[in-house]
Amino acid sequence: MIVSSNDTVRISADPPKGSTSLQRLLRSDAFASIASPIVILLVWEMLVRVQLLDARFFPTPSSVIVELVSMIRSGEIFVHIAWTVSRVAIGTLLGAIPGLVFGVLLGLSPVLRTFIQPAISALYPIPKIALFPLVMMIFGIGDASKWVIVAIAVFFQVFFSTLAGVVNIDKIYLDVASNFKASRWQTYWTIAIPGALPFIFTGLQLGLGMALIVVVIAENFGTQVGVGYIIWQSWQVFEVRNMYVGLIVVAFLGYCFQLLLQRLQRAVIPWKKDGGT
Amino acid sequence: MLTDNAVFAASRDSVSKIRIRDLGKTFSLGQTEVTALTKVNLDVTAGEFICIVGPSGCGKTTLLRILAELEAPTQGEVLIARDDPSAPLSSMIFQESSIFPWMTIRDNVAYGLRLRGVDDTQINKVVTHFIKLAGLERFADAYPHQLSGGMKQRASVARAFSNDPEILLMDEPFAALDEQNKALLQEELLRIWSETRKTVVFITHSIDEALVLSDRVLVMSARPGRLKAEFKVDFPRPRRVYDLKADPAFGRMGREIWTLLREEVAGQ
Repeated sequence: MIVSSNDTVRISADPPKGSTSLQRLLRSDAFASIASPIVILLVWEMLVRVQLLDARFFPTPSSVIVELVSMIRSGEIFVHIAWTVSRVAIGTLLGAIPGLVFGVLLGLSPVLRTFIQPAISALYPIPKIALFPLVMMIFGIGDASKWVIVAIAVFFQVFFSTLAGVVNIDKIYLDVASNFKASRWQTYWTIAIPGALPFIFTGLQLGLGMALIVVVIAENFGTQVGVGYIIWQSWQVFEVRNMYVGLIVVAFLGYCFQLLLQRLQRAVIPWKKDGGT
Repeated sequence: MLTDNAVFAASRDSVSKIRIRDLGKTFSLGQTEVTALTKVNLDVTAGEFICIVGPSGCGKTTLLRILAELEAPTQGEVLIARDDPSAPLSSMIFQESSIFPWMTIRDNVAYGLRLRGVDDTQINKVVTHFIKLAGLERFADAYPHQLSGGMKQRASVARAFSNDPEILLMDEPFAALDEQNKALLQEELLRIWSETRKTVVFITHSIDEALVLSDRVLVMSARPGRLKAEFKVDFPRPRRVYDLKADPAFGRMGREIWTLLREEVAGQ
């Protein structure tokens, strides 16, 4: 608090404010982040009930919740979730490992970079899902083609992030490794991979986002299970509440993946201060 | 004045650990060629601590990087005598913070030994010793981002010494530190060095630092860098930075070196 008169300026501590617990609750971030979605859902519910929104496309949130609860009770929803998660997990592993390996190899070798990077860069702009018909021709319409299309989507994200991470490693660390006579293999393990880890995680984060998009579309084909299947199936039978259940579950899965990655990142990169490198 | 081709040798009867003859380095930058070093001749005795001072951009760092095998010379040669064929040739301490942010201080200090596949009990013994010598015990399991600049450079010093190389190379390791930490680390470096008595080549632009640390100061000319003069520094050891600075002889030598360097810096 600054109080000034003609001859002095007094700078002192501010008086305490927001004394009641209710005032503090209303000001808290947690309250604000919960309040806004609830308000939106309430308004939505009302708009449908007064028939300003068409219930055929926008069912009331309460009816969607009833549907969701019944699918949880029957256990049906968990079967779908398990299939989708396993497809994403297997595909991510199949894509992330080569992405990491190529990223590190090319990151430390300018020669390999000039030879291989143009080819990978040329493939990158193709929307991954556009490759799905080809992937199904090669791998059939079963799970293998779903793993492969997820792997392709994840590969590019992890590859480019890892490459950027390795190229951006401060040259001084490579000088130290070289002065200590680190072999190529030792340089990969002690410098390139740990140095690029923050970037690798960014790649995984983007890759998982892509994986979810791709898997939901892919589950329209050759399967009777998966969250994507719920959405496509609801469209065919015009069961719109089911479709919303599918959308909620997909959003929830995406949120869980990101949360899991954050946890993993904190465990694997203990040297990274929050918010910085 | 000494001629260009003078060989700066500590004492002719003692063994040379490092012998540099007519060393030169020319960089080509597109069409133009830049000569960073020319006709450098120097003998360094085993166990000697030498400092090279010179104006910035005179090629001191290039000389050190050649000794560290990070760069190849374009003329002349360097001979480094091996005492132990299994020991690494050199360890360098860099100016900027070069300890790995992704390793704890202990793992940083152990780095050289790990790469060479030394067994864990031996690593543990050596690393614990040098972490203690460098005053880093409390931070052994911390990551570098939790440490101050001075602590990080202590870890760099410990990492270089624990690698137990034939020669130690230091490229202005304390240049980025504040005055007080600098004085502290200089004394600590001398203390650690006095235990091992490794041959040290230390680059600095600070005349005071060179006089505080070394047995011999070599003055380098502006680009193209060559060795211009040498000064024997025989203040008794162990040395304390501010005791030494209070010595009139210290001031006289400093002025002498500055007179030489002044032409180089002003002439650039």
